[in-house]
Amino acid sequence: MFSDLIFRNSRRSRKENGLFFASLVISIVAFYIILSIANQDVMIFLRKMESDAVDKLLLLIPVFYIMTLVILFFLIYFACKYQLQRRRHEFGVYLMMGMSRNKLFSMLLAEDGVSSLLALAIGLPVAVLLSEIISLVTAKLVGMGIIGHKFTLSLPALVFTVAGFLIIKLGAFMILSWKISRQEIGSLLTDTPEGVKKQKPTFVYAVSGIGGIIMLAAAYYMAISGRAWEEDIIMLLAMILGMLGTILLFYGMRVFIAMLAGAGKSGLHVFNFRQIQENVIRQSTSLAISSLLILAALCFFGAGIGISSSNSQNRDHVFDYTFRDYGDTPANEVLPEIKAVLRENGLENEFSGLYTMGIGNIRTTDEYKGVFTMDTVMEAIEQFPETQQREILLNNLSYVDNPHVIRLTDFNELLKLVGKPEIKLSGDEAAVYIDPEFIKEEQREILNEILSDRPEAQLDGSRIYLTGEIQSEKLVTDRSITLSFALILPDEQFLYYTQDEYDVYVNGVLNPETVEKIGLMNTISAINVHLDTLNLQEHNLEYESYLQNMGRQLFFTVAASYITSYLAIIFLVVANTIMGVQFLMSQRKTGRRYQTLTRLGADYETLCKAARKQINWFMGLPVFVAAAGSMFGVKALYRGMLSMEMRSTQGEMLIISAAVILLLLVVEYIYMTAVKRSSDRYLLTLMEPQREE
Amino acid sequence: MEAILNIENLSKTYGNAPNQTKALNGITFQVMPGEFLGIMGSSGSGKSTLLNCIATVIKHSGGSIVMDGENLAALSGKALAEYRGRKIGYLFQNFELLDNLTGRENILLPASLHKMPENERQQRLEQLAEYLEITDVLDKFPPQMSGGQRQRVAAARAMIMHPKMILADEPTGALDSKNAKNIMEKLSGLNRDEQATILMVTHDSNAASYCRRILFIQDGVIFHELRRGDETQQDFYKRILKVMAQLGGGSLNVL
Repeated sequence: MFSDLIFRNSRRSRKENGLFFASLVISIVAFYIILSIANQDVMIFLRKMESDAVDKLLLLIPVFYIMTLVILFFLIYFACKYQLQRRRHEFGVYLMMGMSRNKLFSMLLAEDGVSSLLALAIGLPVAVLLSEIISLVTAKLVGMGIIGHKFTLSLPALVFTVAGFLIIKLGAFMILSWKISRQEIGSLLTDTPEGVKKQKPTFVYAVSGIGGIIMLAAAYYMAISGRAWEEDIIMLLAMILGMLGTILLFYGMRVFIAMLAGAGKSGLHVFNFRQIQENVIRQSTSLAISSLLILAALCFFGAGIGISSSNSQNRDHVFDYTFRDYGDTPANEVLPEIKAVLRENGLENEFSGLYTMGIGNIRTTDEYKGVFTMDTVMEAIEQFPETQQREILLNNLSYVDNPHVIRLTDFNELLKLVGKPEIKLSGDEAAVYIDPEFIKEEQREILNEILSDRPEAQLDGSRIYLTGEIQSEKLVTDRSITLSFALILPDEQFLYYTQDEYDVYVNGVLNPETVEKIGLMNTISAINVHLDTLNLQEHNLEYESYLQNMGRQLFFTVAASYITSYLAIIFLVVANTIMGVQFLMSQRKTGRRYQTLTRLGADYETLCKAARKQINWFMGLPVFVAAAGSMFGVKALYRGMLSMEMRSTQGEMLIISAAVILLLLVVEYIYMTAVKRSSDRYLLTLMEPQREE
Repeated sequence: MEAILNIENLSKTYGNAPNQTKALNGITFQVMPGEFLGIMGSSGSGKSTLLNCIATVIKHSGGSIVMDGENLAALSGKALAEYRGRKIGYLFQNFELLDNLTGRENILLPASLHKMPENERQQRLEQLAEYLEITDVLDKFPPQMSGGQRQRVAAARAMIMHPKMILADEPTGALDSKNAKNIMEKLSGLNRDEQATILMVTHDSNAASYCRRILFIQDGVIFHELRRGDETQQDFYKRILKVMAQLGGGSLNVL
């Protein structure tokens, strides 16, 4: 009989608080997925090449794990507290009937245990399945192929998920049920009147609200202007100001809501806003925390999207390999040498082509500075309207006085591979090369316009004309060399200025058939394994493959999206559950008011409409504050975390913000609908009159 | 003069066969406009059930309740809500004021629920507040008021829509004798000056002595009726006590 009671009570709790139960299941899923990240195909693969970065990431996982455990602990504590509070009377009756306190305590514990086990029983299989799907989808997306995929069940992840979940669940519950079972029967049986909290004069709240807004503004100013990122202490100050500001804002919000309450007179307007006001007054701090959590979630999403999109921008590539001889082999003998090495080791057929890229320094003079000047270009840039981009361009170009030079034939080969028209240069002409990392669209337009006039420049005392468009194809496969400014010279001039002493980078393109068959990643991995067994150092040779590039991008993309979505989901779930549960619980607490309203002639639809309106406002306020904050928050994160390249792409940032907010709206809509349905159901039970004496 | 409330052979059963309880077992009476009618009975006699049936908080099982020419059994949905809001005003034993609304907001709640014109509701509010002596607590919240003030605010809320009838469920039940006397004086004043029709359930003989007529209910049927003629309130009170004693004695005889 006792066990019957336990099962029945625990089922009732789940039913009454489905939202909370669903949140528990979601957090179990999130736990397992983040903990089993090391088992994901992509991570297994990345570990081979970016092992340092992956290890660092994996070291961070326990930190996230602990952090989310703490946050979830509070969620569970609050949600359970409300749940138990509602059943006080029931507990009082149990004790009156002679149930011992220890028995009550163990009964509550058992009830909770049933729910926890059920949450695990639902959550874990979903988690394992989902993490497999994610593993497969990411593997497919990054082109690793899924043939080698093995089903993995991460035992440690499983254990830690279960352990973490049970520990916080039981911990929170122990504290609560211990507290309850220690209370006097009398105080359990009688409903303790809520009473109205002592109110302070209105201006206190008004001042706190305004103060909160000012603090928030100050915090965002510090973050966006970049000052907070320069010094830790200012960052800390900005964080504290932001949090305190939010809490104060919500503390003072009652004034604003009271004003709204006075604004309308029809229907249940006044009642609705008084209800919202009461909720906001009672729970201003937890609302503020919910709002901060949503803000954090939004920023994570925004930053995640930003980081992954900035790293997946230049996916198109031409070369798969770049070989380089760092010995003293004459420039024109490098290619035959590399070809010979490849042939000797049976790697010749893996490449469909090998291309040289000659790059050198000006050696016709011993000067280091002032070898190259282009005053006409600089003057022309200054004629353009003053923008931030123009200033950056002017500043960058002012340092150019001894540029690298690139051999035209080699560069034309590259252009042919990319499918672009070749450049034709006469003896006194040069084309300008700038690596894509160093130039933005607006700057490129400015320079192209100037170059179309064939401006004059001085190269080691000779007059040359700059012509054509700015060239930005990648010269090598990865990072052997990146040039912020270089001149492409006709072969004869190239050889003259470099005095026949230049570096040769040999770029290889893989056999497309092999790539087609087993995928780019696998091909490169296989060849790398082979190359690493050869003793390339003996020949003073080194190589880099596109895999490093890809791996790096992949790592950032994968790590950023995993971590940020994990945190964002947890935060969103926690914030929404706190708000939803709080609303529903306080609705139950004030259930009598709704009953009184029916006696005053409000019908069920009117009550539902009123409660829905309250939900919209109650949950909408923190969401709105967070969304407004995220506009600045995302911007601040970009200011601090992303490279120069990303920072100024305002349009892209707007799109990201819009996407993030859209996503938020969807999540909030789902949560609000769930809370509303719950509230409708509860109100329906109130419509049934109960006999009371 | 036509009766404002006409109750005929009213019955109410709780629960399903075979465990049925008959709370009301064929009650018939009428209420005339401007009447102040009391209903008395011991706990479990069915007086609250009767009031709840009239207030449409619960559905009656048999017989009919006709209020102002409308059969309550025929009402549903919006019409029912309209009835609760406009035709009757309900006064609760424990006031049932919403404690997060000010006195003024509580009183105006039915007015805004049922869309009473703005100037009319202000006028009515002032009139009631002045009569019930609650003008200075209008902007306070219920927890900041005394019990008597709360019940007077509740009375103003019940009266704001000019209801055809006020249903009062033990209005003095949660008040001390001084405040109980005060609210009863106000109610009978409203009955006298505004011709408000009041139907009050109580087992406080003192409160009942303010009524013009009293119905005694026992075991779901009307057991006795008292009318206050020209006698003083004091004499009427003594007669009530006598009937109450009989009620008690009657049970004693059975037992």
